[in-house]
Amino acid sequence: MSIEIPVDKWPGTVNTVTLGATEADGGTRAKVVTIGGEQSLPFMHFETEMPHSPVIALEMTPSRTDDWSQILLDAWGDVVEDPARWAAAIEAAGADVIVVTFGLTDPAGDPITPDYAVSTVKAVLEASGLPLVVLGPGQADVDNELIVPVADSTKGERLVLGLCEDGNYRTIVASAMANDHLVVGRTPMDVNLAKQLNILMTDMGLPLDRIVMDPTTGGLGYGIEYGYSVMERLRLAALQGDAMTQLPMLVTPGYEAWRTKEAKVGEGVPETWGDWADRGVHWETLTAVSLVEAGADVVVLRHPESLKRVREAIDELMTAAPA
Amino acid sequence: MSRYIATRAIRGANALVTEAETMLSQALAEKGPDLPVSFPNTAYYLPVIFGMTGREIETLGQLPDALAHARELLHPVPADQHWTPYLGETLDGGMATLIAAEVIEAVRYVYGLQPELMPGFELAGGTSFTSPDMNGDGEAGSNGHLNGAIDDIQLRSWGIQLVDGRMPGFAAIVGCAKSNEAAVQIVRELQRRNILTFLSGNVNGRSIIDQLVEEGVELGYDTYTVPFGTDTISAIYALGFATRSALTFGGMKGGQAKEILHYNKDRVFAFVLALGEVDDLKYAAAAGAINFGFPVIADTVIPQILPTGITTYEHVVSMPWNEIEGADDLERSERLVQKCIEVRGVKVQVADVPVPVPYGSAFEGEVVRKADMRIEMGGKGSRCFEYLRMAKLEDVTDGQIEIVGPDFSEVPEQGSMDMGIVVEVAGRQMEADFEPVLERQIHYFVNGASGIQHIGQRDITWIRVSQKASDVGFDLESFGKILHARLHSDFGAIVDKVAVTIYTDPEQVDQRLDEARAAYDFRNKRLEDLTDTAVDEFYSCTLCQSFAPNHVCIVSPERLGLCGAYNWLDCKASFNINPTGPNQPIKLGRVSDVDTGYWEGTNDYAKVGSHGVVEEVAMYSIMENPMTACGCFECIVMLIPESNGVMVVSREDTSMTPAGMTFSTLAGIAGGGIQTPGVMGVGKYYLASPKFISADGGFKRIVWMSSVLKDTMAEEFKVVAEREGDLELIDRIADERSVGSVEELVAWLEEHEHPALTMDPIF
Amino acid sequence: MALSGIQIYKMLPQTNCKECGFPTCLAFSMKLAAKQVELDDCPYVTEESKEQLAESSAPPIRLVTLAGPDRETAAGNEVVLFRHEKKFFNRPGVFVRVVDTEDTAAITEKVAAASAYTVDYVGIDLNLDGIAVEGASGDPAAFAAAVGAAREATGLPFMLVSDDPAVMEAGWKAVEGEKPLLMGANSSNWEAMVDLAKQAEAPLGVVGETLEELAELTQKIQEAGVEDMVLQPAPTAMGASLAMQTQIRRLALKNFRPLGYPTVAFASDSGDPAKEATLAAHAICKYAGFVVVDSFAPEFVYPILVLRENIYTDPQKPIQVLPAVYEINDPKPSDPVLVTTNFSITYFSVANEVEGSGLPAWLVVTDAEGMSVLTAWAAGKFDAEVIAKAVKEFGVGDKVEKKVIVLPGHTAVLSGELEEELPGWDVKVGPREAVDLPGYLKTVLA
Repeated sequence: MSIEIPVDKWPGTVNTVTLGATEADGGTRAKVVTIGGEQSLPFMHFETEMPHSPVIALEMTPSRTDDWSQILLDAWGDVVEDPARWAAAIEAAGADVIVVTFGLTDPAGDPITPDYAVSTVKAVLEASGLPLVVLGPGQADVDNELIVPVADSTKGERLVLGLCEDGNYRTIVASAMANDHLVVGRTPMDVNLAKQLNILMTDMGLPLDRIVMDPTTGGLGYGIEYGYSVMERLRLAALQGDAMTQLPMLVTPGYEAWRTKEAKVGEGVPETWGDWADRGVHWETLTAVSLVEAGADVVVLRHPESLKRVREAIDELMTAAPA
Repeated sequence: MSRYIATRAIRGANALVTEAETMLSQALAEKGPDLPVSFPNTAYYLPVIFGMTGREIETLGQLPDALAHARELLHPVPADQHWTPYLGETLDGGMATLIAAEVIEAVRYVYGLQPELMPGFELAGGTSFTSPDMNGDGEAGSNGHLNGAIDDIQLRSWGIQLVDGRMPGFAAIVGCAKSNEAAVQIVRELQRRNILTFLSGNVNGRSIIDQLVEEGVELGYDTYTVPFGTDTISAIYALGFATRSALTFGGMKGGQAKEILHYNKDRVFAFVLALGEVDDLKYAAAAGAINFGFPVIADTVIPQILPTGITTYEHVVSMPWNEIEGADDLERSERLVQKCIEVRGVKVQVADVPVPVPYGSAFEGEVVRKADMRIEMGGKGSRCFEYLRMAKLEDVTDGQIEIVGPDFSEVPEQGSMDMGIVVEVAGRQMEADFEPVLERQIHYFVNGASGIQHIGQRDITWIRVSQKASDVGFDLESFGKILHARLHSDFGAIVDKVAVTIYTDPEQVDQRLDEARAAYDFRNKRLEDLTDTAVDEFYSCTLCQSFAPNHVCIVSPERLGLCGAYNWLDCKASFNINPTGPNQPIKLGRVSDVDTGYWEGTNDYAKVGSHGVVEEVAMYSIMENPMTACGCFECIVMLIPESNGVMVVSREDTSMTPAGMTFSTLAGIAGGGIQTPGVMGVGKYYLASPKFISADGGFKRIVWMSSVLKDTMAEEFKVVAEREGDLELIDRIADERSVGSVEELVAWLEEHEHPALTMDPIF
Repeated sequence: MALSGIQIYKMLPQTNCKECGFPTCLAFSMKLAAKQVELDDCPYVTEESKEQLAESSAPPIRLVTLAGPDRETAAGNEVVLFRHEKKFFNRPGVFVRVVDTEDTAAITEKVAAASAYTVDYVGIDLNLDGIAVEGASGDPAAFAAAVGAAREATGLPFMLVSDDPAVMEAGWKAVEGEKPLLMGANSSNWEAMVDLAKQAEAPLGVVGETLEELAELTQKIQEAGVEDMVLQPAPTAMGASLAMQTQIRRLALKNFRPLGYPTVAFASDSGDPAKEATLAAHAICKYAGFVVVDSFAPEFVYPILVLRENIYTDPQKPIQVLPAVYEINDPKPSDPVLVTTNFSITYFSVANEVEGSGLPAWLVVTDAEGMSVLTAWAAGKFDAEVIAKAVKEFGVGDKVEKKVIVLPGHTAVLSGELEEELPGWDVKVGPREAVDLPGYLKTVLA
């Protein structure tokens, strides 16, 4: 019996975006990372070759680990005290990309200053050859205050700057345009809002090959199904040819998973939740793997063990069935 | 194009190119071709030449080639008898002027003549100083000279603000104001709006820079007011700044002249304000600025160039100083700046609502009780109305708040008084159709003030002011301030100017109320006349796609959104306010079946908007390709095959319907963005529309309806009954009080001789 | 081309007999058009109509039910490729595996623990669905003993795994009268397995390396008289299994009957709980009807069950939390009362933020039919009356002495009415977004 396998031929292609720049291209990165370019749904190798594998980023929050789960702090040890060592450890752990997220204040309660942000990013650039994503705390005025000087002082590195949000994208986009960087735009789990922000950002003149989108997701048990479906819908729209959805997707399962009670809290929880440390890593891994299935191009994680597991899953998914 | 302006601009351009050539040959002779030339601290060479021609000028020896290019752009002065358009020639002349001016300034930098020396002058803030030697005291600094060209660091900092909108635009002022007082006021008006200001030029040797310095106004980076130089040539730095903005923030490369000019027209909200007499050189430089899409506003009598094309609106506007209305120079300055802003389409932002009480949406729900009340307008004891109307731009003074009649200080506590709020709104994108959309917002705007309660609308408005709010100074004018600020901040896309008049004088209230009522009637009539065949576009609404991903509402004048909240006018206004938002125009295109409601445009859009799930949508049928629904519908219409008609269930009705299902069960079938012939979710006002399932027989098909609809829509249905020629029609329709099953329904219909029974089979 | 409800209605008896369970023939035809019911449910449909409706009548993926003494679990009846298109209907059954080479005490212990496992997730009890007993020994007696030992410890449905008909026979006889999944038939043993399945009246698992192999087998098996089947694509590596699972689902939805059956995925063979967890997640997201795992540990099972719950949530019927007053960070009578709706995401965002802030508060969750604050407010399900009712019903007034109640910022407009409804309370308007709550609690309420 011969079966005709249904093959979807899509008119659209996801944009190809390169994170980071080597010396030859005006930056200092030892390697760059290229994502996107899909012409089919994730891992449908029997339809079209998937040109770039989804990549894994590890996140660091310099001077701001007070809200990190003890499990994470135990896994990283004292490198979290020093951004440069932390970055080196992230690279050694096998990440493709480093995400530096700044908070509003340091543990002493003093505001993170632009100078601190600049010197931290420079230290990270020194300590690691990986491409970088640099995010502000997500408060419009502070984001602008921190991200603009970082952009100015790292011209040409093709950093991914964020977060660009509906009410606050112009300044970050402008500073990215002026300094040859990229941006990431975040919208709250809604296809149309994501499209709208992409339109607004490209309207400013930023080319599409310098934007990635974060459609936002929820952690496992905390709304992952919304993020999952929004991502599937965005990718379907992209493949159908809607240019404003053809951006590679970056999502933050690490952040979402590790702020759930299940991952963050070890005491006073039901016995049926099992071992804390294992549970936390499972929580992050399962969140990430599901989102990879939904079309994520970059997953941002926090635990080095999760990175190993998600890496193995991605590698397997990237391997086509023997013909 | 005015021949007069063309003649003078081209003459000025010729003269300046010649002057530049002379200066350059002298410099070449004295300094040699290898001497480096540059503006201080910039990576963009001589920016205008680099941007427009791609030449990377680094030495004196490269300048003749650039000037030769300028010479090529020159055209002869138009002959007297010639009446062809001169726009192209004039713009070329303008461009030649800019190149020549930049060459001249570059040569002057070589000779240390730029930045221009001005003994005793101190720049506020940092500067693009050329060398520490500039100042006798050896300090690297800002004394004794004007600013000259802007350096890259400052460009970046201001550029970002221009791009992200914190800075609405920049003004290049050239010349000398009518008086020192006027000069100061003009600059203050610009500063107040956060508009960056560049100063240059003179009239008969006297510059606005001199005027401001005499008045002690601080000039420099810190005050956003930068003195370039006291001659017209130094205005070139403004265009160098504009060119570099495009190179830096638009990602353009040197030589992409067309892209750079378009970038500036579309994104850099700049204008030239020519103060005092306009000479040939100023005309030539102005022609250069018009290339960038920057209009020129003059305070003297010059020929105007009003048709738009190169700039967004007018090219050249004359606003002679002594013809500007205003009590004094201060008021005239204000008007002049206002005009500049209009002509360039600069959007001004009003950050705060300037009232003495806390303001914010958190106060929207406050109730002011009688005991806490200072005064009320409307309600039982007095009349109150609100009326927003569109006016011409020139007839509205932005921010003007006028009180006609007494304030409430004389009214006893907890008393009441008459009040009429009349808002006049002007804007280039404003349309009369938006009046009711904006007017409805007054309710929310006023309610945002702590201690103020607003209920109703139009002539049933009812406002209470609390004792507490009154104590801290909330007065009648405060209403005007709220409306001015909020209309600008929320509707800036369509509103350029807002003026508010508050009438409390009873006679005036009488008179204005009549006007308002006439307008309300007119609007009602307008809505009646607004039919689907009277427009050539409908609107989409994708607000609900977050939970019904493939559903799209198509909103037409005679079929409002199924949620009942968005009619065609709302969608139109929403599109104008937010062009990338959820409401997009759908061009109807070719009509394929006007009775069932098929257009090429609506079908195409249905496919796109539903992501391919819906192939076709019939605007006026429930039986074939009905419109899909999200879940927000006010009512569900469903076929009852046994009755040859349809039933309508309201969201408020929880009883059992003749279909054997309740509203919530039906909602599961009707919703989700899936086309289900025989079931449809609609807004309740659509029931009364002549286009209500008109392809299937219209309103007469309704055999059963929730009683709550009969009650709340009684007025509308009376009109429908008249239209259908059967005044008993509504009484022939069953409801949940009389009929609970399909068997009962059929019996009831026969008993009441419902028309559906004798209509053609519905399928 | 699928028929619309109205087209189907024309072919039905139009008697509104209600025997199908629906109030009218039209309602039934609409459900039929949505492929949510089977035409067989209509007792009076004519043969002629049946023929005409055959195409659009049967769900494209057969519903297969497994039954143990205490519970049943079913897979199939799916109608979409992506959950947002409609929803995924039948949660994949998660089966824990035991092997007949283990000693019976170990089997009993593992099965008892798995069977007893229950965990609360937003008021829903999550459980495992069955036990897979694998016959690795090749010895019918050992297999029967293992099945028997497992059955002593649980009432859950079974999946019996062996490709040896003799072993399988011994196994199902140990649980005769139940409906286990006989896992499974392949190209060499299918005839014997069909006989067993027919005797046992149990569904038959079918193993194949390729789609062709599976389709040929199912056709032969169907002709031999077994209707209920479950497909097991043999490749387990994620890339290959994703391709095959996707192709099966796509073909089934195109009404390709030989592949119109639910599938089973064995995550249990990886030998590493870490790997097993990602395989299980993969299987849940992408189309498996049953998932078999080897590990059983709460920290491993809990996230898998939650993921399944999430992916199989109806996208249009959000998960709801129980309306109640929730205590966050051990609040005292002096702490404030916050109000929100019972939409799970709304609740989580609020609860998470407050919890993260370390500040104590009482959180009143009202019944808003699972809508978010703004939607519920717009729909009239979250108004002053509803809030006041909840506050009274949950006895909040008795728990606090400082009666401060904070409304979500988006519903500021309710503050006046709520003051009327709750005399003696200080009604405050909080921030619009949950993320601003910690700041609000620290500054405004401090």
